[in-house]
Amino acid sequence: MITAEHTSINKVQYFNGLNEKEQDTQDTMPAFTPTTSSLVTESNVMTQETVGKPFVKSPRMTCREVNVWYDDKQAIMDVNIDIGKNQVLAMIGPSGCGKSTFLRCLNRMNDTVPICRVDGEIILDGLDIYDKKIDVVPLRAKVGMVFQKPNPFPKSIYDNIAYGPKIHGLVNNQTELDEVVEYSLTKAGLWDEVKDRLDQPGTGLSGGQQQRLCIARAIAVRPEIILMDEPCSALDPIATATVEDLIDELREQYTIVIVTHNMQQAARVSQRTAYFHLGKLIEVGITDQLFTNPSHQLTEDYITGRFG
Amino acid sequence: MYIRTQMGHQDKKTTTKASATERVQLGLAKRRRKEERFRKLSFAAVLLSIGFLVLLFASIISNGWPAFQRTDILLDVHFDQKVLDVNSLVNANYGKLVKQAMRDVFPEVTSRRDKRELYRLVSSGASYELQKMVTADPTLIGKTVSLWLPADDLTDMLMKGKIDRSLPEAERPISNKQIQWIDQLIAQKRLKKNFNTTFFQAGDSREPELSGIKGALTGSLFTLLVTLVLSFPVAVAAAIYLEEFAPKNKWTDLVEVNINNLAAVPSIVFGLLGLAVFLNFFGMPRSSPLVGGMVLSLMTLPTIIIASRASLKAVPPSIREAALGVGASKMQTVFHHVIPLAMPGMMTGTIIGLSQALGETAPLLMIGMVAFIVDVPGSVTDPATVLPVQIFLWADSPERAFVERTSAAILVLLMFLISMNGVAIYLRRKFERRW
Amino acid sequence: MKKTLLIAACLLLASDVWAGGRDYVSIVGSSTVYPFATTVAERFGKTSSFKTPKIESTGSGGGMKLFCAGTGIDSPDITNASRRIKKSEYDTCLKNGVKEIVEVKVGYDGIVLANSKKATRFNLSKRDIYLALARIVPDPKGSNGFIENPYTNWKEVNASLPDIKIEVMGPPPTSGTRDAFDELAMQGGCKTFPWVKALKKSDKKKFKTVCEALREDGAYIEAGENDNLIIQKLEANPNALGIFGFSYLDQNADKIQGAIVDGVAPDFDKISDGSYSISRSLYMYVKKSHAEVVPGLKEFLAEFSSDRAWGDEGYLSEKGLIPMPEEERAQVGKTVKELIPLQL
Ligand SMILES: Nc1ncnc2c1ncn2[C@@H]1O[C@H](COP(=O)(O)OP(=O)(O)OP(=O)(O)O)[C@@H](O)[C@H]1O
Ligand SMILES: [Mg+2]
Repeated sequence: MITAEHTSINKVQYFNGLNEKEQDTQDTMPAFTPTTSSLVTESNVMTQETVGKPFVKSPRMTCREVNVWYDDKQAIMDVNIDIGKNQVLAMIGPSGCGKSTFLRCLNRMNDTVPICRVDGEIILDGLDIYDKKIDVVPLRAKVGMVFQKPNPFPKSIYDNIAYGPKIHGLVNNQTELDEVVEYSLTKAGLWDEVKDRLDQPGTGLSGGQQQRLCIARAIAVRPEIILMDEPCSALDPIATATVEDLIDELREQYTIVIVTHNMQQAARVSQRTAYFHLGKLIEVGITDQLFTNPSHQLTEDYITGRFG
Repeated sequence: MYIRTQMGHQDKKTTTKASATERVQLGLAKRRRKEERFRKLSFAAVLLSIGFLVLLFASIISNGWPAFQRTDILLDVHFDQKVLDVNSLVNANYGKLVKQAMRDVFPEVTSRRDKRELYRLVSSGASYELQKMVTADPTLIGKTVSLWLPADDLTDMLMKGKIDRSLPEAERPISNKQIQWIDQLIAQKRLKKNFNTTFFQAGDSREPELSGIKGALTGSLFTLLVTLVLSFPVAVAAAIYLEEFAPKNKWTDLVEVNINNLAAVPSIVFGLLGLAVFLNFFGMPRSSPLVGGMVLSLMTLPTIIIASRASLKAVPPSIREAALGVGASKMQTVFHHVIPLAMPGMMTGTIIGLSQALGETAPLLMIGMVAFIVDVPGSVTDPATVLPVQIFLWADSPERAFVERTSAAILVLLMFLISMNGVAIYLRRKFERRW
Repeated sequence: MKKTLLIAACLLLASDVWAGGRDYVSIVGSSTVYPFATTVAERFGKTSSFKTPKIESTGSGGGMKLFCAGTGIDSPDITNASRRIKKSEYDTCLKNGVKEIVEVKVGYDGIVLANSKKATRFNLSKRDIYLALARIVPDPKGSNGFIENPYTNWKEVNASLPDIKIEVMGPPPTSGTRDAFDELAMQGGCKTFPWVKALKKSDKKKFKTVCEALREDGAYIEAGENDNLIIQKLEANPNALGIFGFSYLDQNADKIQGAIVDGVAPDFDKISDGSYSISRSLYMYVKKSHAEVVPGLKEFLAEFSSDRAWGDEGYLSEKGLIPMPEEERAQVGKTVKELIPLQL
């Protein structure tokens, strides 16, 4: 462990002096040279270190040595990654590799799975979110989530959006609430479709509409970080485009982590991309670089469609 | 040779063909037959159960229907000042007034024996009614009023054709003379079958014509109310705790197993428990709906807990995640989203539990609710009985007129059950319509 | 939810009331006395300013148990019994502080064997009853020994009886009627064998099992406590006999007829004067200490022992109670009035 800390300090030093605003591509560390891998191999043959640039200069969240188990089956192994401020991080990888699992660690959604155990530290605003003193309620208000399967509340469309702001006391009166609902639905590209039927059940919408409703619900509480698990898997190209525009727009204020199976989408919306494989974080890099010039063989195999 | 080979070849061809489509066809016919048979069998089963139900209802209704009518006698009652002393109206002999009125109708009856037989045509309840009237309005004294007063149950049975006139006199509970008088009364239009309001306004009585279901109905209502108030919140709270908040460990497993076992414990055991704990230890009042309701809650608790847990479990986890995901606390998630969704199931469980409780007599025997109670209970601590107990008591009474009242009481019990289910369905609809 | 809470609060308030006391008479005990006690209770409740007494039918033994459990408002004021209190029960009472018990004899009840009117009336002796129903009977071949009951037909029991299969429906052992039947009819028939009667002195236990055990081969059918059910079954099966209290025969005289026992048919007068032999006395036991505490108790007793209730032509006789002779009534009436405790 001491070795790990040591290396991470070294890595951080790399970035001092880099201009944060100087476009996303430069906002990351330089790629690890292949020698880094060999360096790790020296210390521990069994540990496979992430290649690429998992760390950024001023991260919004930092994840160190994250391990996740379902019972005694390990789903995430020794993941170290930073989530940059006001940028989109895409997570890709074959089905079952642990993308959702890792994403759900970021707002402690895994607490709801009794057999799930999380180890390591995930730091947000200087505090470990897995610390015993941390209350998950403000954490989840700050780190919003859109789930893989659309899951609107079996209430009216209006109530779906209004629920979050109401329980957090974000609005003072009905007009404000109405505004929040309209704003959120508009942002999610759903307003025109539902503005005449706000009192109808959210479960009565189509799958794609439901997914956008869930996105609207997530942004209605004005989170600082939004986690999206395949938000466009059920959407048509037009709706997908709307959501992608939304993501792009949101990036100015929010930090976004998105899981996707669609590599074009990852390329379109994200600034950095992380590639997971069998529970390990194989490679992280600036999106363009990772797709055009992957450093790891597994990444290359995946993005060229050889498997996964 | 050539032909043979060709035929052989053809054979082969057809068999391979048969395995493709004809086989499916063959199997299809078989499948259809099976389906048909199953449909017919299930239909027959439904018919059979409907048949039994119709039979049951027909017999109960045909038996119980007459109980909703009661025979009354029109008498000209003279509220004699000599009999009614204003200063002691309670102790006055009201029976005397009734007897006088009967003698007025049949002045020709003079022998002591005959007079006694004549008086038997009127119910002993007639004098209670006069007493009530005079107490309410003492100005009646001295006046003569025409009144419809209840007839005796034997008169009633004869009017309803439940007593066979053709039997020899010795084998009838009613004598030739009495029949003759009754016929006279009918001719004078002094006998009439009226709607039996007493049946719905009175408590139990030893005289069939004065007995009513109100006492038992009120008792059942109070008992069920206590049961509902105690068991529903406790059971729902227990279910929510076990399902949503309790850690999953050996203890909660143990609790779960025990709850399931409790649901199968014979109800009489709960009666014994109630006797030991509520009556003997806490000294609560015997025969009261309060204790009855407490005992029945013990019995219905496991049923409601199990049903509630099942309906909580049936709420999709994605709803919980959705709520937690926007930052709702565990408590808010459960109360705002999970419970409303589980509520219809919980209410179904509660109604099932209460319906069970409504039909119970065994545990109530232990705590003294199987009793003769005339006064309609006014609170949950008054002595009371419940509908099934009333049915049991009437079924066990020697007087024949109680037979029809037993069936009528069963009808009332069924109506009670139906309206309870109706309320449940209404509430469920209302809850479900919230989204 | 709020409403439920409100109701709960009301219930809690209401439940405080019981601590106050009891303003009605509480009666338990025999199911045989139940119809009579309830009749009096109802009249009493309707004509007096007191509440109607509450009456539970618990059986004589069950009633005694509750009655003797102690004094105080939790315990009943009166228990009814279709037999006299036993010494052991009396001792339990004393031990639990129930010191002064007033015994009130109420009247008589006859036990009848009846069959459907469609069949011929039976004319039985108690010996016939015993031989037909006992599990083991004296060997008919003459030696002083017992054999399993071999009789399947009434004719085999007594040549003068009809040629019908033995089939008798009666109450289960928990019932007071059964107790009385065992004691009066079975033992009575049993004692007509002198050498069996001698057994009573030498081996009381043996005597009891020999005389009172009913057969279990299907000839005697336990029909439950519901006597109306027995009557229905008798109507359906004219060959069967049923055993129950006289009041049921009285109320259903158009459907069933009582068997003549030892030459006497069961009717009102014959039971009252004691010539019908299967009859018993009915009792009420009263806690003297409650007389001053429970409102209406003394007045209820007065109503019960009034002539219009238990007299020769009183309303209880209409319900099937067989009144005591005049002098006996006067004597018991005095005990009731002065609440003279029982000495055992
Ligand atoms: N609740 C759970 N209980 C047990 N194992 C689980 C659970 N959830 C996920 N897993 C396991 O953890 C591993 C990672 O699952 P995860 O859902 O994170 O995959 P994923 O990368 O999101 O896949 P996909 O692209 O198909 O959504 C899988 O092997 C899966 O079987
Ligand atoms: Mg996933």
